[in-house]
Amino acid sequence: MSALELVQAVCDGLLFGATYAVIGIGFTLIFGVMHKLNMAYAAASLAGAYASLLVLHFVHAPALVVFVLAGAAAGVFGLIVYLCCFRFIPLAAPLAPLMATIGMLMLIDESIVQLTEGMPLPYPVLFDDVMLYLGELTFRGDLLLVFGVGLACMGLMLFLLYRTRLGLATRAVAQQSMAAQLCGVRLTRLNALTFALTGLFGGIAGAMIGASVGTLSPLLMLPVTIKGLIVAVIGGLGSIPGAIAAGLLVGAFENLFQFLRGVTERDIYVMLLLFVFLVLRPGGIFAAGRGRD
Amino acid sequence: MDFYLGLAQTLGVHALLGLSAYIVLLTGQVTMAQAGFFAIGAYVAGMLTVIAGWHIVPALAAGSLVTALVACAIAFPALRVRGLMLVVATIAFGEAVRLFFFNFDYQVWRGEIQVGPLGGEGFRQIRYFPEHGWSTLEVMLFIWGWVALALAALWWTDRSRTGAVLRAVGEDEIAAQSVGVNLTAVKVSAMTAAGAIAGLGGGLYAHYTTHIEQGSFTLVLATFAIAYPILGGLSSVFGTLAAVLFVQGFLVEGLRFLGDWRNLLFGALIVLAMNLRPRGLLDAATATRLKRLFAGPGGAR
Repeated sequence: MSALELVQAVCDGLLFGATYAVIGIGFTLIFGVMHKLNMAYAAASLAGAYASLLVLHFVHAPALVVFVLAGAAAGVFGLIVYLCCFRFIPLAAPLAPLMATIGMLMLIDESIVQLTEGMPLPYPVLFDDVMLYLGELTFRGDLLLVFGVGLACMGLMLFLLYRTRLGLATRAVAQQSMAAQLCGVRLTRLNALTFALTGLFGGIAGAMIGASVGTLSPLLMLPVTIKGLIVAVIGGLGSIPGAIAAGLLVGAFENLFQFLRGVTERDIYVMLLLFVFLVLRPGGIFAAGRGRD
Repeated sequence: MDFYLGLAQTLGVHALLGLSAYIVLLTGQVTMAQAGFFAIGAYVAGMLTVIAGWHIVPALAAGSLVTALVACAIAFPALRVRGLMLVVATIAFGEAVRLFFFNFDYQVWRGEIQVGPLGGEGFRQIRYFPEHGWSTLEVMLFIWGWVALALAALWWTDRSRTGAVLRAVGEDEIAAQSVGVNLTAVKVSAMTAAGAIAGLGGGLYAHYTTHIEQGSFTLVLATFAIAYPILGGLSSVFGTLAAVLFVQGFLVEGLRFLGDWRNLLFGALIVLAMNLRPRGLLDAATATRLKRLFAGPGGAR
């Protein structure tokens, strides 16, 4: 075990961490506008990736088309989750959407297990034969693609949030939904749009997970959900720069411990990382220092 | 007959899980840690009877105590965050416990065979009841004895000053704090009590199934645990008990003929129930109406 191998493991993890960052941003954004957790978000995203495989049944589509379709399908799933778990439940019952989305998570998970008979399905990969050498370090082409697409998703999300009227409305609702409504923001429409858009990016992240692992399996559902949630919490619920940093951190940390302690133990250390953050920085990475209340 | 006795055992253990979630929910905290507590209790009590050769009652007590200590330790960092962050923290805790037991090997020779937890294979041969000649009926009564004890303790707590303090924190933390309630102490105590009850349930579960493995302690189990008090409403412990009977007795056992589709239906049913009755099946308004119905005309105010 040399220092080089450690650095290599951290770099691979950082590249893969881009997917966690995108999923974490999705959790954070939905929390930001609705102040509720959508537990089914990662499941809906992966379901989108699954749905995009359907097109390969009919035509021989290039990998890029499949990735885009995954985003579109996950956007639709995001909208369905919104309609089933948030739209018709009164705001004053905070437990109900939480339980409903957990139910949705179980429903999506179980449907996929039933439809695929629990078998992992192969997912199209791109650039898996490309290798980039940088000094002593090697970078896998497919992981670089994952990282690049992840960065592009984050850039697009930040652009949407900070440079468009839709983003302005979203941020207004996150700050004060009543005031935003008084300024003419249509709350239901905006919420639905947020779910569809975060779903879209989540679907692309789901496709990236599939493309870097090479397969999609129902076993991914819960770990990705939990890591997305952990990323959102470590970054500070509601903070987008926090989610980006936390996603990369969790990716690197996970791969480092996979290298040091093996694949079965690595997730324990990710959970421990969460508890370290809860003790030392409960407000998230970029939270302003707060006095005791 | 044995089928119904076995079902009664499952109901008893799930009642303990539900009560564990109930007491934390009284303080307004939603935790998904019950599956982790349950696993710790199951492994500790199982190892004490199988490897150390203890009697079942001290083993259960020790399992419950260890779980309570873990719950107390986990409560301090977890309760620094409130509301939905706590859900995430406790989910992570539950998964960490599950993964810990997935990697946990501790086997000893006992006669001809090796016994003890073996990672992903699970922990087989927890044969205290068969070895000591307990019949299924006796085991069932033993489990329900503990359930009755926990129910009575919680019912009494609910009626005492302690119960009022718990509910005060659940209703409005700031109001409770302003009348001199120590929020941290109340929440950590509730979490510790929840750990003790769930650990007890885990110990009983390990002994009646004789085989435990990490795959039984997933998020699904935690969801069940928190679903009981939410469905049953928080007006009384008996709501939780009724929810356990309804979910495990009717939904899980009664719909077994649906086979694999049952699990699909389960998720859909939760979504539907939360849309139709967002405050629980037995919310405060319904409970009052029921009370009035049973009290008869003029009997209730």
